[in-house]
Amino acid sequence: MFMVSIFLLLIILSISAFFVKKKSWEISMISSLIILLLVFIYALLNFWSGYDGGIISNYRLSLVPSIGINFTSGVSSLTLALLFLTTIIMPVALYTSKNGKYGSLFYGLMMLTEVGLFGLLISRNFIFFYIFWEVVIIPVFLLIAIYGGEKRESASLKFFIYTQLGSVFLLLSILTLFAFYYSLNNVFTLNMTTLLSGQFIDGTAIPVFWKYFVIFGFLFAFLVKMPSFPLHSWLPDAYNSAPYPVTVILAGGLSLMGGYGFFAILLPLASIIPSSVSWIIISLGIISLVYFALVAMMQNNLKKMLAFASAASMGFVNISFGVGIMETGSYGIQELTGGIYQILAHGLIIALLFATLFAIKSKTGKENIHSLGGIHREVPILSSIFLGGLLASLGLPGFAGFISEFSVVAASYAILGPLIFLVIFGMIITASYHVWAAQRALYGPYNETLGSIKDIGRHDIMVLGSLLILIFVLGIYPNLIFGAISKYVGVFL
Amino acid sequence: MNFINMLQTVDFTTLYPELFLGVMAFLMLLMGLRYKNPRIYSVISFVSLIIAIFLLLIFDSSTSSIFSGILQINDFGLYFAIIMLISSIYMVLPSTREVHEKPELFYATLLFVNISMLVAAFSLNLIVIFIAFEGVSIGTYILTAFGKSRRNLEAATKYFFTGTIATSFILFGSAFYYISAGTFSMENVVSLQSHSVLIAMIFLFVGYGFKLALVPMHQWAVDTYDGSPNSVSAFLSTGTKVLAFLIIMRIFLVGFSPDHTDIFYLFVIISIITMTYGNIAALSETNLKRVFAYSSVAQAGYLILVLAVVSNNYSSSSVDLAILAGMFYALVYIFMKGGAFFSVGLVKKENANIDDLSGLAWKSPVIAVSIIILLISLAGVPPTAGFFAKYYLFLSLISGQLWWLAVIAIVNSALSVFYYLRLIVIMFRRNSDNEFDLSPSVYYPIVIAAILMFVLVALIYEFPTIQTYVSGLFGV
Repeated sequence: MFMVSIFLLLIILSISAFFVKKKSWEISMISSLIILLLVFIYALLNFWSGYDGGIISNYRLSLVPSIGINFTSGVSSLTLALLFLTTIIMPVALYTSKNGKYGSLFYGLMMLTEVGLFGLLISRNFIFFYIFWEVVIIPVFLLIAIYGGEKRESASLKFFIYTQLGSVFLLLSILTLFAFYYSLNNVFTLNMTTLLSGQFIDGTAIPVFWKYFVIFGFLFAFLVKMPSFPLHSWLPDAYNSAPYPVTVILAGGLSLMGGYGFFAILLPLASIIPSSVSWIIISLGIISLVYFALVAMMQNNLKKMLAFASAASMGFVNISFGVGIMETGSYGIQELTGGIYQILAHGLIIALLFATLFAIKSKTGKENIHSLGGIHREVPILSSIFLGGLLASLGLPGFAGFISEFSVVAASYAILGPLIFLVIFGMIITASYHVWAAQRALYGPYNETLGSIKDIGRHDIMVLGSLLILIFVLGIYPNLIFGAISKYVGVFL
Repeated sequence: MNFINMLQTVDFTTLYPELFLGVMAFLMLLMGLRYKNPRIYSVISFVSLIIAIFLLLIFDSSTSSIFSGILQINDFGLYFAIIMLISSIYMVLPSTREVHEKPELFYATLLFVNISMLVAAFSLNLIVIFIAFEGVSIGTYILTAFGKSRRNLEAATKYFFTGTIATSFILFGSAFYYISAGTFSMENVVSLQSHSVLIAMIFLFVGYGFKLALVPMHQWAVDTYDGSPNSVSAFLSTGTKVLAFLIIMRIFLVGFSPDHTDIFYLFVIISIITMTYGNIAALSETNLKRVFAYSSVAQAGYLILVLAVVSNNYSSSSVDLAILAGMFYALVYIFMKGGAFFSVGLVKKENANIDDLSGLAWKSPVIAVSIIILLISLAGVPPTAGFFAKYYLFLSLISGQLWWLAVIAIVNSALSVFYYLRLIVIMFRRNSDNEFDLSPSVYYPIVIAAILMFVLVALIYEFPTIQTYVSGLFGV
């Protein structure tokens, strides 16, 4: 009930954000911080101790019981970790929208995106899951279409069509599960827990063909959102033409949706996923990791580079899921927990990087590596934070990204065998282009054409610094979240 | 003798709504001698249509049959009768602007059309349906030609000629139906003589499919919607289409009920062709009104899916769900399509191009948001009523085990997203100097339709009640 009331408050705040005439930035910032605080309090109350996997704080409101439409919500530690991510990247995204001249429409749409993500994470009924899935897409589409840079029209359409195609398959899979449950039990239900229960899934109620169909539909929808290798071509356009706040949400929030789908919907279905499909997922993950890393290396534009870096690190989530469902016992737990942790770490790190890049862009007016160069001399604090973000992103020990990448790689040796070198190869490329970009953009001789620029102020340091510290804390004391997530995963193994 | 007997004994109370509308129509024709202001007539027809709804609710809400079963009064027919009246009510006030001379003729014709619609909604007899349908057709020929410009006349001529051909097909089909069934009444048909039944089916399908603008009988529709006044195209693509849908359901699901398999294949093929063709044609179209016209063709393809599910007859629950979905879809469709056609009126040019919408969002945010809601509802994106309508349709397909058809329909609906969203993107273009007509007769229909896209979702709560009407389709 507490969670649902937070969600209701968020809905009210987001609607009011549309109608605020002045100070819309301040108001949406304050509302997103309030939500963050409330989620934090909720987590302290429920997850500090005594969580042992499964779904807690169930809430149920019957709407149309005759056809199975109920608003059902529940929270697991997976949900909570990603709720944290959502609520943390929201203020960061709003921070990057501070200097832009955006109206209340912009902030309203941003808050609406948060509503969609929040609702998606807490709903345990497929129809609401699907509705919130779409509620996320539409504001993001509008934000790109209205406030984007050049090529915004084609970029937004491309984004929408890709993701809509994904949602269509999502809906088909949901309806398939629904229909087979109905023909078996004569009960209309869209409850996630019921439709994903092992008893129903493993039984003979669903013919093999339709089992594969369900898996394919879900997989397609989630891979588009990640974005994973063959379904990624919306990514460069959308990331590049979206304004910075939206890029933060795209990188942190939308990839979260794909990852959440993997671990909340496909994980309970793991018993019917054949190992060939797992291998496909793994190979897509490895290809994403290596291919996107190579593409990122070739980029001159830092924003594009980060976009591909983001997609590359989501490759770890694929690998973790594909390997994790083939493993058992503590390896499997470590593998899957690492994957979930990677979603969280990646979201935080990429949000930090885009926010810092935004600060660099607004100070220097440039985001190309060649046009920058040596800015550490003029803006030491800003470039140090950016360096910190880059190091976290390449998986340096001490930062959150290391924990997840380490657990994924360490636990997947049992399945992958020598193929692990491909993953390591991807990590090496990742490290090299991160460092290379830092070296060319931040250090070396100062590009005098930039003139003299001022370092960031106290407020910026506070926002960016606290995010960096959070990543650092999660890197040296991962058990804050890692333990709870492993309990969620443990239920399925 | 028999007929006179019948007239003397029949209870006319159930026909009061039709009689009332007829009286009002003739009254308006008389008033036309003195008053020339179109506003008066639009208000009168608006009020009389609303009163007609109440009369329907009062006199026709109990099940009965008159003229020895020619008209079957039941809740199913009542539902469709009311939503067809609503489609007229929706267009009647905004149409004032487009009626320049002889307004009394325009509105009287509209009321006559509505009378025919009410009769057709309750009838289960092919001849009565034919006559009522002709009433609707002739009335709409007049409404289409009302603007008197070259474009209007061209549209009306095309409509008239194709419509007449369709009429002859209907007559032929009815005759062949008589040969195979031995009666014009479609109730309780037990067996059909196999030789003529296919001919009857094809002829009736072509005839009524014309009005529903199913591919390959759709080309008139695109040209006619394009050339007619906006309010008339809104009416043509909603009210008369819903009527044609109802009649097709009646004829093919009730009249041809012993012949399920042929109906099934016929409608599966036609629905696939119609959806796909409408969507693909709309993709490459740049004329705003023709985009909506092609999307209206595609929407008819979705509606026809209902017939595929019902004739597949997998289980009684899937049949109920399909008809229910069709009923809900028809209601939602009236407002989303009608609102879309009214939005063409925003552009002050003769031939509205999709680029003429650019910059709308910055001139009038309210109207832009409303159009966005209508478009995403047409595209079937939640949480709008259009999504729920499509959702139930696909649900019925899947619960009727027609997976492959559901896949085709859903892929089609994803395809349609492209051209709807292209319009949204265009509206948000900056630096354009387009002028928009934001007069109340354009503004309010769009805003009201957009609000209804959320309000109608609440109707889901009434689904258990509406589900009890479904059996009325079969004349019970």
